[in-house]
Amino acid sequence: MTMDRRTVLGMGGAAAVGVLLAPGVQLIAAPPNETAAANAHRWAMLVDITKCNPACTACIDACRKENNIPLFGDPARDIHWIRKVEVQDKERQRPPFTLPVLCNHCEYPPCVHVCPTSASFVRKDGIVLVDEHRCIGCRYCMIACPYKARSLVYFPTKPPKDGNPQVPIRAKGVVEKCTFCVHRVDDGQPPACVETCQQSGHAAMMFGDLNDPQSEISQRVKTLRTETIRPDLGLKPHVHYQGL
Amino acid sequence: MVLLRMVMIVLAVLMAGTARANDNATSDNAANSLLLANGDVRLQKPKGDACIRPTEWMRRNHMDFLQHKRAVTVREGARKRSESLLQCKSCHPSREQFCDRCHDYVGVEPNCFECHIYPE
Repeated sequence: MTMDRRTVLGMGGAAAVGVLLAPGVQLIAAPPNETAAANAHRWAMLVDITKCNPACTACIDACRKENNIPLFGDPARDIHWIRKVEVQDKERQRPPFTLPVLCNHCEYPPCVHVCPTSASFVRKDGIVLVDEHRCIGCRYCMIACPYKARSLVYFPTKPPKDGNPQVPIRAKGVVEKCTFCVHRVDDGQPPACVETCQQSGHAAMMFGDLNDPQSEISQRVKTLRTETIRPDLGLKPHVHYQGL
Repeated sequence: MVLLRMVMIVLAVLMAGTARANDNATSDNAANSLLLANGDVRLQKPKGDACIRPTEWMRRNHMDFLQHKRAVTVREGARKRSESLLQCKSCHPSREQFCDRCHDYVGVEPNCFECHIYPE
């Protein structure tokens, strides 16, 4: 494992804190149900495009249901956390195919870089989130995001009748995006889109911890030829595609 | 003059009588009023044994507590289910009769529930 400068500095800081602690004083670990997101994980997604059925919208429907995302009926103003994109490859003369596109939870997210209120931030486990309590709706992040993964909430919304209480609905005038279903990930479950894709029998999407060398996603990313969208931007996105 | 004085006395007695009647009326309304006899706001009786923090402390600090929890949960990812906003309903089933009643009385409008779903 190569360590970047930040890691080395962090370890130096941790060592300094260790020295500063009075002898006999120990840092007490938080109880297991209260541990914060840890650097130990790096959540990522792998999409096998060859298995993605162009007619299937199971992931989109599951996302809307899980996260209480309303449809306003205006395509230019609708909120989308995940969408299907049709690709026509004229160079390689392939038949057109579709792929789901969502927030790529970049390692160096430009949206976080430009956010004036620190509403967009990266959690320690690499999930990029919007703290909607802080968002002022300036939409700078929407301009910065190369994946078009962010939406502004243009209209006030009401909680759906059989909504999911785990996920708050949205206030008008904030920006939101895919959260990798952070409330599920914290409970040890995969995001709703991945779960639905697995259950529907296509099994095109998969979710896991890239920092765990034993996890299936790590093995696949290591052994198969996977790509990310726009790797030239150097953002290190964490949604990998197979067969792109 | 004597007559006038008599009239005044009769009027005063009548007024005192109506005042006492009014007192009776207020004691009848006390059961429906939003305030208890000691001046506290009448709230729904909680169902559980004890709150996650002492009641007196909660009364004074619940707003800062919730804000702190909010920051820790969203930004640090430290979810403690037992202290989640969704857990309040296990003891305080009705938002209208618990949170809102006091907030209306003191004229405070928290915006939590514009987005967060308080399960009924």
